[in-house]
Amino acid sequence: MDDIKVDLELDLKGLLCPLPMVRVSQNISKVPVGGVIRATATDPGSLADIPSWARSTGNEIIKQEQEGSNLIYYIKRIK
Amino acid sequence: MTPEANARAELLQLIDSKMNRTLKYYLDTCVRCAICKDACHQYVATGDVLYLPAYRAELIRRIYKKYMTGSGRLLPKLFEGRDPEDDVLLDELYKTTYACTSCRRCMFWCPFSIDTSWVLAVAKALLLATGRGSEILTQLADSAIDKGKNIDLYTGVIREVLKGSEEEMRRIVQDPSAGFVYDKQGADVLYVALAGTHTILPAAIVFHQAGEDWTLSSFEGSNYGYFLGDTVKAKAIAQRIVDEAKTLGVKEIVMSECGHAHRVMRDFYRMWAKEELPAPMVSILSKVDGYIKDGRIKVTPGKITEPVTYHDPCQIGRNFGLFEEPRNVVRATCSDFRDMTPNRQKQWCCGGGGGLVAETEFDDVRLKSGRLKADQIKATGAKILVTPCENCRLQIESLNDHYDLGVRVSAVLDLVVEAIEIKPR
Ligand code: SF4
Ligand code: SF4
Repeated sequence: MDDIKVDLELDLKGLLCPLPMVRVSQNISKVPVGGVIRATATDPGSLADIPSWARSTGNEIIKQEQEGSNLIYYIKRIK
Repeated sequence: MTPEANARAELLQLIDSKMNRTLKYYLDTCVRCAICKDACHQYVATGDVLYLPAYRAELIRRIYKKYMTGSGRLLPKLFEGRDPEDDVLLDELYKTTYACTSCRRCMFWCPFSIDTSWVLAVAKALLLATGRGSEILTQLADSAIDKGKNIDLYTGVIREVLKGSEEEMRRIVQDPSAGFVYDKQGADVLYVALAGTHTILPAAIVFHQAGEDWTLSSFEGSNYGYFLGDTVKAKAIAQRIVDEAKTLGVKEIVMSECGHAHRVMRDFYRMWAKEELPAPMVSILSKVDGYIKDGRIKVTPGKITEPVTYHDPCQIGRNFGLFEEPRNVVRATCSDFRDMTPNRQKQWCCGGGGGLVAETEFDDVRLKSGRLKADQIKATGAKILVTPCENCRLQIESLNDHYDLGVRVSAVLDLVVEAIEIKPR
């Protein structure tokens, strides 16, 4: 898990909901199927928004972590 | 019937099911006087006929006339009759419908009070039925519904992250026992914030100082099902809050600074659900105005000395009727308040409503049409722009960069917290 290959970094720090989720949605097609976006947000609203977006669009959060106020999501494109 | 004829019949049935007396009045009455052209910020800023309010409605009118009126059935060409599955019409309808911010400024100007945004609700139903609904608005609505179904997965982690904000609250109110209140049975107020802490912390400080008996909703007020035009999804999103209010047995549902959420909860939920809210919905702006008037909180008069201007969000001002309450609150905190011209019912839409701030495909018209608001803000010479709607704030932040306005964009409650005189409890 620690050496996840990241295909695209998204800096979503400072963006308020729904923009973190919107940016993830806009960028998911930029990675290949099976590829991973690492998105770093600071809005606590993203804690529900990004995982529920992933579930309802059939994508997957393979790892989620917090570093200080940074909320980091590893989002795998499934389809 | 051929499959094509069947599909058309289904679409016509859908349109017909939406055609109540008011809508028929709108479609039958327009005299093409074009007065509305000067009312729509998108048409004024671009001159593109696609954004002319009467033309937006005309696209639906052409289907209605051809299939639902005697004269149109007889002489479809005369009315430029169109079919509901016509790709060219649907493409055009998509661009004009999802660009509309539902500000209803055109309705205010129209001599017959034709509500173009209501006609476009039919257009949205048609677009959804033909698989052409806005993709990003669909995703936002679906994820809100998913959150509702799986809320237990999120509350723990969100509340953990909000602990930092609770710490800040304790520091500001100088009360080590203060904090956010969750799941409080029988609380007077269910406060519905937006996702994130920026609409929670200021309200929590104000509630603490007012001695309010409150509890925080697990759900955000925003409703992308409404922007999408999918009333089933919109109802499901609003239902999360209604069910929570019922379970907790609260006395009031207090809505945070979010424009469309005000209208969804007060005006639309009862239409979609065919039931009243379990408790009255009150705006946080009215609450805070009342707290100041009743002396439940005290703000230092004129504490904010930089010039301040106020933007009336369409969904809170023109379409909900709150003009003076937010102004009272803002005026109480600052020494140099400058209203924009025009304001109140006649104010210009900021250009970001209707879900546009999330729909990047409309960035061009969003920024161009925001020029009118940008010019208004500049003309005041204000250094602080305050507005009680998240969409408006996001849009005006974006206008701030684009048009180099040099203002600080603030919510109303942020100013209150800046000016509040803390009484230790
Ligand atoms: S102002 Fe009213 S009647 Fe005149 S063109 Fe516009 S919608 Fe039609
Ligand atoms: S509701 Fe607003 S954006 Fe839509 S057509 Fe009317 S004036 Fe234009």
